[in-house]
Amino acid sequence: MSGLADLTLGFIPLTDCAPLVVAKALGLFAEEGLAVTLSREASWATIRDKVAVGALDGAHMLAPMALAATAGVDPVPMLAPLALNLNGAAITVSTALAAALRALDPDGMAATPITAAPLARLIQARQAQGAPPLTFAVVFPYSMHNYALRYWLAQAGVDPDRDVRLVVTPPPRMVEHLRSGGVDGFCVGAPWNAAAVGEGLGEILISASEFWPGGPDKVFGLTAAWARRHPDELRAVLGALIRASAWADEPGNHAELVALLARPDHVGAAPELLARALKREIVFHRDAAGLPRREHALWFLSQMARWGQIAADVDFPAVADQVYRPDLFRAAALSLGPVLDPAMVFADAPAPAAALFDGAPFDPDAARAYAAGFAIGRARG
Amino acid sequence: MRVLVIDPDPARAALVAEGLAGIQPLEVRRATVFDEREVAAFAPDVVVIAADSPDRDTLESLRESSHSNPRPVVMFVDRSEPGLAEQAVRAGVAAYIVDGLAPSRVRPILDVAMSRFALTQQLRGDLAKAKADLESRKIVERAKGLLMKERGLDEDGAYRLLRKLAMDKGRPIGAVAADLLAFASILKGGDS
Repeated sequence: MSGLADLTLGFIPLTDCAPLVVAKALGLFAEEGLAVTLSREASWATIRDKVAVGALDGAHMLAPMALAATAGVDPVPMLAPLALNLNGAAITVSTALAAALRALDPDGMAATPITAAPLARLIQARQAQGAPPLTFAVVFPYSMHNYALRYWLAQAGVDPDRDVRLVVTPPPRMVEHLRSGGVDGFCVGAPWNAAAVGEGLGEILISASEFWPGGPDKVFGLTAAWARRHPDELRAVLGALIRASAWADEPGNHAELVALLARPDHVGAAPELLARALKREIVFHRDAAGLPRREHALWFLSQMARWGQIAADVDFPAVADQVYRPDLFRAAALSLGPVLDPAMVFADAPAPAAALFDGAPFDPDAARAYAAGFAIGRARG
Repeated sequence: MRVLVIDPDPARAALVAEGLAGIQPLEVRRATVFDEREVAAFAPDVVVIAADSPDRDTLESLRESSHSNPRPVVMFVDRSEPGLAEQAVRAGVAAYIVDGLAPSRVRPILDVAMSRFALTQQLRGDLAKAKADLESRKIVERAKGLLMKERGLDEDGAYRLLRKLAMDKGRPIGAVAADLLAFASILKGGDS
């Protein structure tokens, strides 16, 4: 062989797997000297386990998974040297629930963005009547989707652990569960919100770009041990993925991107549904989207502590700096030279303060106090 | 001990259940998908699940939400037994054991699951190879027919020519035959 390194990378059928699919299909991995096999996986748990044992060299991951694997009880230190996308998720409820909310609180449902205040009123009324709790689904315990839904509910006084039932459902099954009435709403990534709307089954109440403009979502993750053993391959993989992200952001490439993603061995969803989130929501590259930002890691850790997933005495900054590696991103981006806007390389200067939809300030340097400061939360210690 | 086997492939789940039958007094149930009510009713001590089942993420969440789930915490097969998690992941199975159950009691169950998974993998590979062989034989027959017609060879001569081409190029005879048919269709103005 011509010195190509053989790598196997995993992904889940979601629109934001695009950088991996594009880098493979356009030959960007090959140009970086890599022979990459993509492996479509059925669950996030399998992605994590396969990466942990080395059956996958790296993968499309929920950003908090990499943090949880590093800070959890059974640690396998992982790295997130590249953010695959910003935004893309949304909270969707069944059309029946949306109608009930609108009947109860038309003003609240006309607000932008829609908060969970109308839902809080409905839940109170249901509790008074002795009705069973509403069921909401997220994709994984360690996911932006879980934290966004919980934050949004709690912001309006709904306790996500007591006032509703939260379940985990794989993304491709969300729409089916909404149809069967098994769930009343969910928070999931593209294209599944658009799919629920497209089939007339659901209504989007708030999108990730309204919840937290430029908020984090997926990362490219791998073990710290692999990164140590393969520094050159890592730089090559990141370079190919950065180029693919830039390509995927170009509106002129969206038709081709949609066709690629629609293939059954990739996402396997209808092209018009895939196109919707690309146009309005997901950012792959511009505004330094690929940079793994420390404040994103610290916000995730604050929410993991808030909901009792990690002990409150975990050293947030140490875990964030161990997992999120903007230095690796920068080295790979610089190796690409003038191919890409050089501004992005240096954009890890202080980011605009995180601005969530409720306007509550988040100071990354005081993440622990932030985690403990919510009216509704399970922070221990 | 109660074992639940969840596998989207019912044949493989049946094979695993069958293999477990001889181990020790235990009750095995199999399902193609995770059903919360069914699981609550059966109350398994161990859940063996195929890695290609999307229900793994739902099972993972059970160890998060022990308050809404009255059953004890479940966890991925204990990492303290060296190599077991790695072997299981590579074989395509995962096990969730109820807290308090000794990992050593799970070991024989996982060993059966892993060997049965490997067996189905091999059977499937054999089937795919048999299909490919049959397909290749059909292609060779068609290429022979083409050579007989275009070159006026008899059947034996056509086969010897194909075999010589394959040996000269160091490629399988089926691949050479497929190339020949593809070129013939181009020369005839076909679009492949």
